[in-house]
Amino acid sequence: MISTITDRLLLSIPVLFGVLLFGFLLLQLVPGDPAQVVAGPMAAPDVVEAIRVQMGLDQPMIYQFWAYLERMAQGDMGRSMISNKAVTEELWSAIGPTVELMVACLIWSVPLGIAMGTLAAVLRGSIIDRVIMGLSVAGVSLPIFFIGLLAVQYFGVLWFQLPFIGRGGPLWSVDGLMHLILPAVSLGAIMIGPVARMTRSSVLEVLKLDHVRTARAKGLTETQVILRHGLRNALIPVVTLIGLQAGYLLGGAVVTETIFSWPGIGRLTVGAILSSDFTVAQGAILVFALAFIIINLIVDVLYSLLDPRVRR
Amino acid sequence: MTLAEASTVAAAPAVPPEDAAPPRRKSWFRRLLRDKAAVAAMTVLGIIIFGAIFAPLLATHDPYVNSRSVMTPPVWQAGGDPAHLLGTDGQGRDIFSRILYGSRLTLLIGLISVGIGGFIGSMIGLLSAFYTRLDAWLMRLMDMMLSFPAILLGLALVAVMGQGAVPVIIALAVSSIPDCARISRGIAVGVMKMEFIEAGRAVGLSDRDLFRKYLLRNCISSIMIFISLRFGQVILIGAALSFLGLGARPPMAELGMMASQGRDYLLFAPHIAVIPSVVIFIIVLCANVAGDALRDVLDPRLQA
Repeated sequence: MISTITDRLLLSIPVLFGVLLFGFLLLQLVPGDPAQVVAGPMAAPDVVEAIRVQMGLDQPMIYQFWAYLERMAQGDMGRSMISNKAVTEELWSAIGPTVELMVACLIWSVPLGIAMGTLAAVLRGSIIDRVIMGLSVAGVSLPIFFIGLLAVQYFGVLWFQLPFIGRGGPLWSVDGLMHLILPAVSLGAIMIGPVARMTRSSVLEVLKLDHVRTARAKGLTETQVILRHGLRNALIPVVTLIGLQAGYLLGGAVVTETIFSWPGIGRLTVGAILSSDFTVAQGAILVFALAFIIINLIVDVLYSLLDPRVRR
Repeated sequence: MTLAEASTVAAAPAVPPEDAAPPRRKSWFRRLLRDKAAVAAMTVLGIIIFGAIFAPLLATHDPYVNSRSVMTPPVWQAGGDPAHLLGTDGQGRDIFSRILYGSRLTLLIGLISVGIGGFIGSMIGLLSAFYTRLDAWLMRLMDMMLSFPAILLGLALVAVMGQGAVPVIIALAVSSIPDCARISRGIAVGVMKMEFIEAGRAVGLSDRDLFRKYLLRNCISSIMIFISLRFGQVILIGAALSFLGLGARPPMAELGMMASQGRDYLLFAPHIAVIPSVVIFIIVLCANVAGDALRDVLDPRLQA
């Protein structure tokens, strides 16, 4: 168990390095001269030159990369080119809302998807199975922004007048919760389909196995057989799937945050790119990649908790 | 070797190809036709592709020219104008014509990126199954690439290259590589274990021939199915990037971008955003249904 985790941690080191290299290259490849950008368009050539030396831009690439790594290790991501606030500060204030949104989305969509998938597997071939599978194929095919736009129109304006702009405040306040509903519903909608499909095929697979037959033979009720012997084993591929879907979910969060003006990392990234605020964009992209690595690390740990065979 | 034979080989590695092939050879297409949902999906997709290809002939208006009739609803709603089948958008442009041109760009972006990404990915997968020494390295590299989700890569590339279809295509292609590489490696490892590879080696075939004639031909159909399943996803991500304003540049028509422009009129003229979104939904749904059916018929083992 512990060795699995250490293995995964060791494996994330090269990945992390790659991510940092990517972030570094991103800043290098950005159009325009960074020194000129910092100095402003009207600056005298010698000022630009001085800033270039000060930023270490006259040094060889390798040296610059090393300096970049040093700054990163100290948590210094530079300053926003627009607001002049520290990038870390901007990122820090955006992480909370994004995590909030992710958790709120997973908390309802994953259990619902698992329940739907299990139901479909148990009632295999029935109308209910077909309806559930049809719904999940449709769910997989819906553009996330369409779900968001429909949510705004129907739940936000026509039927319920739920708030759909921004974050209402801390989570424990009524307003905060109300504002969270629509974004979490829209984002969760894209997770149900894949989870339900995976659960269904995985439960069907497990129900064929010997230990399920034994459980039936010793006289357990069908519910017990399915919940205790079927579903528990079937969850392993589902957990893996959630890890694989993490990227999809993060992407969905970018769109959802933009539609609902949710002040998270996704909206920050898009805003930074559209306004050419490259330092913030780079920082936000690093945070995203890091989040992806962490989610997969958690998934691996969960995986080994669920499946004792992996622990060895 | 035909497509059906190749898939049989991948599907049932224990059976030698000569014995298993004949009964399946002719039937897979017929079995596909028996699946009504798949036939419907392929028909609809065919119509949309037809419309996209012949957009200049079918369009009733110039998709880029504004008119005075702004936000006209579609014909079936009150106030609809028969001249504009699907109504007009916030700048008075004909939505039907824009949809035709928009699907053109959307489909093209999807097709090019899946093609490039699928090709590079499956080559990497096949090579790492073929040259086992490369395997660990290539797969670690794929793991690393996997930690950059498509949308993130798209955001990063747009930051560097500016808005446009090209960075979106690159992002979608690159992000398709690791998935395709993993799947095709899985398929190829199965094929590599089979006796005819050993036999090919024994009779002294060059690596090049062994790779092309023995490995590639036996994997290609399964890989193609997987790539076709990826198409829908790629379209969705591409549309999402356009929706965020990071894809194709404005006067161009692209479905995701049209939906995002319609967002401003959502409350007075919902059809401007809804119609392009529905078209994307239909394209992706049909691609998924058809892909699933194709997979079930040709290679049920891929279902996991």
